[in-house]
Amino acid sequence: MSKPALTVPAPGQAAGRSRRLLEIAGAAAIAATYVFLVLTQPADIANGPASFSALVALGGFLLGAVLLIIAVLPVLPTSTLVLIPVALVLNVVLGQLMGSTGLPFYIDAIGTVLIGVLAGPAAGAATGALSSIVWSFFNPTVLPFAAGAALIGFLAGMAARWGLFRRFYFVPIAGFVTGIIAGVISAPIAAFVFGGTSGLGTGAIVSAFRAMGDTLLAAITKQALISDPMDKAIVFTIAALLAYALPRRTTFQFPFVRRFRVLAGKSPAAPDA
Amino acid sequence: MTRTHHLHPFTALTAAVGAAVVTTAAASWPLSAAVAVAAAILAVRGGVAGRVLSAAAVILVPLCLSLLVLHGLFFPEGHTVLAEWGPARVTAEGLEFALELGTRTTACVLVFLLFSFTVSVPDLLSALAARRIPPQFGFVLASTLTLLPAVAGRLDRIRQAQEARGMVVRGGLLSRMGTLRLQMVPLVLALMDDAGSRAQALDARGFGNAGPRTSYRDVADSTAQRRFRAAALVLTAAAVVARLVVSWPAGVTR
Repeated sequence: MSKPALTVPAPGQAAGRSRRLLEIAGAAAIAATYVFLVLTQPADIANGPASFSALVALGGFLLGAVLLIIAVLPVLPTSTLVLIPVALVLNVVLGQLMGSTGLPFYIDAIGTVLIGVLAGPAAGAATGALSSIVWSFFNPTVLPFAAGAALIGFLAGMAARWGLFRRFYFVPIAGFVTGIIAGVISAPIAAFVFGGTSGLGTGAIVSAFRAMGDTLLAAITKQALISDPMDKAIVFTIAALLAYALPRRTTFQFPFVRRFRVLAGKSPAAPDA
Repeated sequence: MTRTHHLHPFTALTAAVGAAVVTTAAASWPLSAAVAVAAAILAVRGGVAGRVLSAAAVILVPLCLSLLVLHGLFFPEGHTVLAEWGPARVTAEGLEFALELGTRTTACVLVFLLFSFTVSVPDLLSALAARRIPPQFGFVLASTLTLLPAVAGRLDRIRQAQEARGMVVRGGLLSRMGTLRLQMVPLVLALMDDAGSRAQALDARGFGNAGPRTSYRDVADSTAQRRFRAAALVLTAAAVVARLVVSWPAGVTR
């Protein structure tokens, strides 16, 4: 105890590297699980309720989500961390509000996308995964989709980093692409863990593809390719509208927004030209 | 309240996870149904039957109906055709598949809801803090659970204030979207503003610091519970390994 620490020790280089490794391992676990599931999908699901694939899907995707959380969560600044509960609440409450307009979409990631845009891909991924875990306290069926939710937050952050949120017309496109990727990754969960989707509209689309003789995974993937891109385009648009509606003073307090000039316009500190 | 109060949160969590995983691995609908019934009985004895069953019904009724329609009518892998209308074929295999997956999901949902509605959140948080779980996780969990009811109240106040200014929640799609914007923007702004001040308060109290945390609450644990958890984990792992070995893809595709 020769030198008492009066200040917070800066995270060392080694800690940073191991976190990066954890992040990569988490992403690799999710990707490998998906590839494995698609390659080994049971040719004849009538032989049993896809129990093997369900276990692999649950284990691989949850492992990936947990690794991402462990890697990202301890290094998030407090100002970002306190937004994660807000994001989760927004996911739920805004989803319910949108539902009250009678639109046929299942909009449940607005908060995750908003955090991804304001605080970056890592924060977005952690928010998505944590949202699923905390929300599973009330609805356990969202837990298996944690990896997909993390992917949505991550891709929203990457889109913001590449400047797609500076121009309004790029936002739905970014959402559309995110929807394609996230929908395809989440399809094995819907197929093998739940054996279908829970909505009537989505269920009808899956039924149509099944009637044409598709395998369950193929039918659900095609259904996801129909509904998810549209859904995420709307979610991204709403999140962008919210980000634009927020005062500069609020949005520019995020280092990510300042550093990558996520939103068009000058920092409020800069004198107006 | 109940005997679950004497259980360490991790014991209940291990039991819930174990039951769900073993049910998934076993893939037999009588076992799934038995687990579901057992969870329902425990919920009744725990005095949370109303909340657990109503929350489960909201989740499970649409899912099970969708499964029944999807696999009951369209199951190209089925051979035993019971009835046929145009492209729709009711097959025995399809109905069995729907039954298997429906009971399995029902069992898992009931087991997890039983856990989350009986666990004492403060106990769970201090148990998490006592382990090497990042304290940030506990914060997010607790903060969300307390924020949810507060936000519902806040949204109500925003709606009332906007209605006092002439907002009418009726009419076509565009006007509906307009009223939505009038409610969402103040809500998001207020929540983010609150979060900013909360972050400052937390930082001032050393929340962002590294290092171990201490807790005022001490959650009682016992050797018996520790043994039970270890046994449950071993059993769960064994069930998973058995399932993986039995139906490794090479064996499935034949």
